[in-house]
Amino acid sequence: MVMSVLRRLGQTLFVLFGISVLVFLVFFATPGADPTARIAGRNASPETMARVRVEYGFDRPLPVQYARMMEKLFVTRDLTSYVNRGQKVVPEILEAAPVTVSLVSGAALIWVVLSVAMGVTAAALRGGWVDRGLMMLGLVGISIPVFWLGQVVNLVTQSRYHDSWLFSWVPGLGYVPLTEDPLGWFRALALPWLTLAVLFVGIYSRVLRADLVAVQSEDFMRTARAKGLSPMRVLLVHGLRTSMITFVSLFGLDFAQLVGGGALLTEVVFGLQGVGRLTYQALSNLDLPLIMATVMYSAVFVVIANAVVDMLYLFLDPRVRDGR
Amino acid sequence: MLAVLAGMPAARAQDSAPPGSARPVGDGQTLGSPHRGGTLRLAASSSGGTLDPQINYTSEYAQLFTVLYDGLLNFRKADDRTSDDVVADLAEAVPQPEDGGRTWRFTLRQGVRFSTGQEVTVADVAASIRRLFRVGSPTAGSFYGAIVGADLCLRDPAHCTLAGGLEVDPATREVVFHLKQPDAEFPQKLAFPHASILPANMPDHDLGNVPAPTTGPYRFVSYDPDRGAVLERNPFFHVWSAEAQPDGYVDHIHYDFGLPDEAAVTAVENGQYDWMFDMKPLDRLGELGARHTRQVHIRALYGIYYVPMNVNLPPFNNRLARQAVNRALDRRAMTILYGGSAVAGPLCTMVPPGIPGALDECAYTKGADLDHPAPSWQEPDLEGARRLVAASGTAGQKVTVVVQNTNVEMSMGVWLRNMLQAIGYDASVKPLAHAVQLGYIQNTSNHVQISVTDWFADYPSASNFLDDLFGCENFHPGTDNSINIAGYCDKEAQAAVDAAKQETDPARAAQLWTQAGRIIARDSPAAPAIRINYIDLVSSRLGNYFYSDLYHMIFSQVWVQ
Repeated sequence: MVMSVLRRLGQTLFVLFGISVLVFLVFFATPGADPTARIAGRNASPETMARVRVEYGFDRPLPVQYARMMEKLFVTRDLTSYVNRGQKVVPEILEAAPVTVSLVSGAALIWVVLSVAMGVTAAALRGGWVDRGLMMLGLVGISIPVFWLGQVVNLVTQSRYHDSWLFSWVPGLGYVPLTEDPLGWFRALALPWLTLAVLFVGIYSRVLRADLVAVQSEDFMRTARAKGLSPMRVLLVHGLRTSMITFVSLFGLDFAQLVGGGALLTEVVFGLQGVGRLTYQALSNLDLPLIMATVMYSAVFVVIANAVVDMLYLFLDPRVRDGR
Repeated sequence: MLAVLAGMPAARAQDSAPPGSARPVGDGQTLGSPHRGGTLRLAASSSGGTLDPQINYTSEYAQLFTVLYDGLLNFRKADDRTSDDVVADLAEAVPQPEDGGRTWRFTLRQGVRFSTGQEVTVADVAASIRRLFRVGSPTAGSFYGAIVGADLCLRDPAHCTLAGGLEVDPATREVVFHLKQPDAEFPQKLAFPHASILPANMPDHDLGNVPAPTTGPYRFVSYDPDRGAVLERNPFFHVWSAEAQPDGYVDHIHYDFGLPDEAAVTAVENGQYDWMFDMKPLDRLGELGARHTRQVHIRALYGIYYVPMNVNLPPFNNRLARQAVNRALDRRAMTILYGGSAVAGPLCTMVPPGIPGALDECAYTKGADLDHPAPSWQEPDLEGARRLVAASGTAGQKVTVVVQNTNVEMSMGVWLRNMLQAIGYDASVKPLAHAVQLGYIQNTSNHVQISVTDWFADYPSASNFLDDLFGCENFHPGTDNSINIAGYCDKEAQAAVDAAKQETDPARAAQLWTQAGRIIARDSPAAPAIRINYIDLVSSRLGNYFYSDLYHMIFSQVWVQ
């Protein structure tokens, strides 16, 4: 157990190191990205440029700059933005995280409930028009780009039909903290949740249906049916549990990736100041410290999620447990 | 595009008040006005960087700083062209140049207080000017480098004293600047937000997110670059000059960051915000012009799009090749690509109209030449351009146009490529991320031959276009900070520019700028494309829309009730 935790930790560090070096090198290899010119300002004198270079350490060799940045990010945690000078990026991300977690958790709840319902219904009624209809719907959901859907949702609910009875409850775009106003929080996030969930409902319901169908012919299912269990019980207890393996591992990765900033487009379109929007903003004004911090944050989540998913396997799949 | 063209002229007609018809700010008092009070709600997609008024160089915050901070001088807060004029702010009067423009003498007003309650003293003035160098303000060299002792300050900022260049006398409240060489534009430079007067005890480093005490009608309550700023009235403010710093109507200003442009347009239409900072997206202009005409204001802006050509790289190291591009450039097409004739117009010379010294002639239009210029640009001259390319011997060479990957600039770039092909080059377009492009085209190491970019004046002077963009001192090979993108450095042009910069008589200076402009037009290191207008969108409840040329909507002069 200790060994496997250590191994996992070692892998995590290696992944973080690799990603951070890559981000760092790509940034400095990009022509036109020189942070000195940005910080010094338009048409700054060469003296001011030289001063900024020394102040920010851009005159040092790249490995030294890299080491200093990592030290500031992980050890002293006082790495500051190149754009909003004095803004510490670590607290900035920690403040943005609740927004992202609110968005992603709500969307996750919606997509899990809906996709399980759709997947099971489709599998139970396999071959019928309900099955085909649901799977078609899922495909449509997968095919719609989230930023486009978000813009259309905004167009309909904020602009064209904002004053109609249907959407007059929709507040202006932006986030309302849960602790300040729970109802406002719900209203501000309801549409972003649904928008973000659409793609995943599509994917997950299709994956679940396929797994449920595949599992029908397995030996243990035949045994369950032979024992005289009701078809519903066979499907839900025996079939669903085994079929959830793919579902859970997918969910773990998607959830982590979204909490880590992958809901970027949804956050930007709906004006939610989460980690994704920070990443977007950092990329659009080439703010290396913030890019680095958001990328590291995201990587940490994905690695942790992988570990959690592996643990969950043990509970879901007896074969994994017994194999150890 | 049709919708854009069809929609906007209505809004324009509504807003085209004749010059000089603007409302005066009167005595600058708002106390007792029925419109006083309420909260002005502003939105921007992101914050504008540091809050240090001596360092920040964005128009987003210059607009905010103009109702927060004051310099010795300021630009007049007026809703017409007189907003280009420098007026006395913390100083009692605009000084006359002495010693041929080498000495500038001010007397500081008495009784002005910072938002901390502390009185503004000459020591604060001296410390603030020194602080420009100590904190490495971007304009420390270009604007204030002529002050005696500035060289030392630039080299060793920590020990900056400006000895011999800046003298203050607490007894007479006198502040005197001595310059190395005459600088006719020194008053404009002192009116610029970087020369705001802050308390003497401000630290010698970028203030970052910590606001400095203000002198204007508002002060900061809170600030978070990810969320927004909250401003309230400065309790120590009183009106000392109605034209420099009138009192504000609204009690509070809430500036929220994070709403993307499309969403901000909708929010202002819905009355959730009163004003948005970002450019209005092209696809919404038709809707704004048709359905929200009364909420749209279109005003002149000292901003241009132009096409710099690298005079040190083939084929544009050949003057005839550069002149050919200038001759072939279809400014009408560029105007349409930017959004139509209501929001832009053809530009034939590098200094936009309205600025003293702007040329009101065009040599690069069909039927005209350098010796016989036409009064204005009419149409492109492709035939003439082809002849010039043939004469230059550069026909068939490879040319890459570097543009930003935004809608407008991409379409301009593609159009330019087609034009270059039509006059005989083997042209292609290279789009770059908008965050990277400006740094990229400035750096000579990237060997950019031709590009499309924009430029805005800091203050209304021909120097902001001719000297900034074509002065030898602004060409720094091998760095991303070399705003003379063309790499143009010509003895004759530089001498003309230098003479104009030093001339303190405005009429004579305008004449000298015209001369400099003609030399640069002849050498054609860049092809001017269009001048652009400012499009503002406000909520239906916002009244007394008030626009100044340099800082756009003045937050203190509009009302919400």
